[in-house]
Amino acid sequence: MTTAPAKTATKRARARTKLRRRVAGLLALGFALLSAGLLFSAFAPQAQTAQAQQDSALVRQGEQLYKNTCSTCHGKSLEGVKDRGPTLVGVGDAAVYFQTSTGRMPMARQEAQAHRKPQKLSDEDIAALMAYINANGGEGPKKPAESGEALRGDNPARGGELFRLNCGNCHNASGRGGALSSGKFAPTLDGVSEEQIYTAMLTGPQNMPKFGERQLTPDEKKDIIAYVKSVTDGNNNPGGNPIGGFGPVSEGLIAFIVGIAALVGVTLWIGAKA
Amino acid sequence: MSGETPTNLPSEAELAEMSRDELVRLGTKLDGVELVHYEEKWPVEGTKAERRAQRSVAAWFLLAAVTGIAFLGVFLFWPWQYEAPHSDKHLLYLAYNPLIGLFMGLSVLAIGVGAVLYTKKFLPDEIAVQQRGDGKSSEVDRATLVAELADAGERSGIARRSLIKRTAGLGAGVFGLGVAVVPLGALIKNPWSDSESKNSLWHTSWKPENGEKVYLRRHTGNFHEIVKVRPEDIEPGGFETVFPFRESERGDEHALVSALKRSDAPVMLIRLRPNQPIVKRAGQEDFNFGDLYAFSKICTHLGCPTSLFEQQTGLLLCPCHQSQFDVFHYAKPRFGPATRPLPQLPITVDEDGYLIARGDFIEAVGPAFWERKS
Repeated sequence: MTTAPAKTATKRARARTKLRRRVAGLLALGFALLSAGLLFSAFAPQAQTAQAQQDSALVRQGEQLYKNTCSTCHGKSLEGVKDRGPTLVGVGDAAVYFQTSTGRMPMARQEAQAHRKPQKLSDEDIAALMAYINANGGEGPKKPAESGEALRGDNPARGGELFRLNCGNCHNASGRGGALSSGKFAPTLDGVSEEQIYTAMLTGPQNMPKFGERQLTPDEKKDIIAYVKSVTDGNNNPGGNPIGGFGPVSEGLIAFIVGIAALVGVTLWIGAKA
Repeated sequence: MSGETPTNLPSEAELAEMSRDELVRLGTKLDGVELVHYEEKWPVEGTKAERRAQRSVAAWFLLAAVTGIAFLGVFLFWPWQYEAPHSDKHLLYLAYNPLIGLFMGLSVLAIGVGAVLYTKKFLPDEIAVQQRGDGKSSEVDRATLVAELADAGERSGIARRSLIKRTAGLGAGVFGLGVAVVPLGALIKNPWSDSESKNSLWHTSWKPENGEKVYLRRHTGNFHEIVKVRPEDIEPGGFETVFPFRESERGDEHALVSALKRSDAPVMLIRLRPNQPIVKRAGQEDFNFGDLYAFSKICTHLGCPTSLFEQQTGLLLCPCHQSQFDVFHYAKPRFGPATRPLPQLPITVDEDGYLIARGDFIEAVGPAFWERKS
């Protein structure tokens, strides 16, 4: 029976050291975790992780798309390829939206300028590419949050004045477009959506100059869009046929030919009846 | 009048006896015209057919009156002010011009149709025969006319009286000179008189006066609004047309409007993208401000606005004759009929961060003129 109390004593001591070891271990672990977390938060780039976590799936999808459809000409990491495509650093998602939604990108072949084509990428793919460029291309013009008719200002008259001052030189006073040098041209604005007009002004696609928000305010841009919408898509067409929309030349020619022919016809008819 | 002399003219007594019909026949006969067939359309008055014909003509004239009234009504009262296509009044506005044309055209047409119908339905059927003349007048007529003219010239004595002749020539000549000077004189100007003025061919409205700052002003579409331009307003690859502005013009409506309308004023402010290789013109190395370059918008060929800017190729195109200027190479002509580069405006930034002109262009803007040496 003598061993019994000693046994219980050693048992007790052993339990005590075990508890101490456990507590110390927990403390050490906690300290290590805390310092690791602090170190991580000190060294990790805060913003990027937050953004990547937010829509990382979309960005990953965009990256995949970029590698498949864009990287041949714009480079593996948006740096651009000489004589093929410009760098996409700083172009912003507005440029991505304009180029892809008008079907200009992906390009079919290298030529004087990219042509408007039916949209190749789906809306979802475009959103993914925009997210990818936003995540990796640095600061750049953003596509406006509003869309459709919300982008039409309420003063198309002022928009018309601004259009003639800034845009009409190349796009013609009523948005019919016109020739530039060496096979390039300013396209007609028929069938171009409000978002596309807005992002085109913001980003200056291809040879079009850029019209930043400090040069033409968002309100002024919206008025310009209202004007464009009021003269394109058959809206400026009270006679039934715009005959090219180039103004007095084609109109005068048609009036002359048709009018003279009608007068000759009527004269002949009157003569025949007399 | 002359020709064959009529042989048997009726005497005065016979004339008094003749009826109107006979007189008409005599008259046409004297002119060498024979009425073969000359018949009333409606020999019996008041028939049904005649009344119907009368009604149909009257209906056209009535239509002319009604459409004329409609034209007046539309012209005076229709809402003609512009309505955007998206407003519900747009259709009304659109109808204004066609309606005016329609009613006015119908009115004119109805008057014309009425008149033609009247001649067709009511003027008598007439077949007349006229002998064709031989061409020239008779020998007697020609000889006597020449004699009369020569006689008149001779008897006026002007050939002998050289004093009268010369003074008359002098008077008419001086008067003619006066008539020519009035329209032509305005075209003749001395380009050297006051050649330092901003209104001369050598200078533009950018020329500083009394040491006053000349700002670069944005045209916002509102002629009375004053917006001064800062370098950061223009994105790389952007461009804008700017006009001169002086603080002394603030509040002066006329000056503010005319500053935007002067033909020598428009200047294209272009911001090139960074790291763009540039060739500057000798003597104009400091005319730009960073990436901002300002060139006159007036084509050096015939003065059209050269405002078609291709920001990637750096070409400015002139729409009139397809001249192309290379912005990366001091706006030197690359193609087309223009031979001189676009003049460059020296610009800088003032202490408040606004872009200002450092002076006028150092050469005349726009097309060549006689006195220009280069």
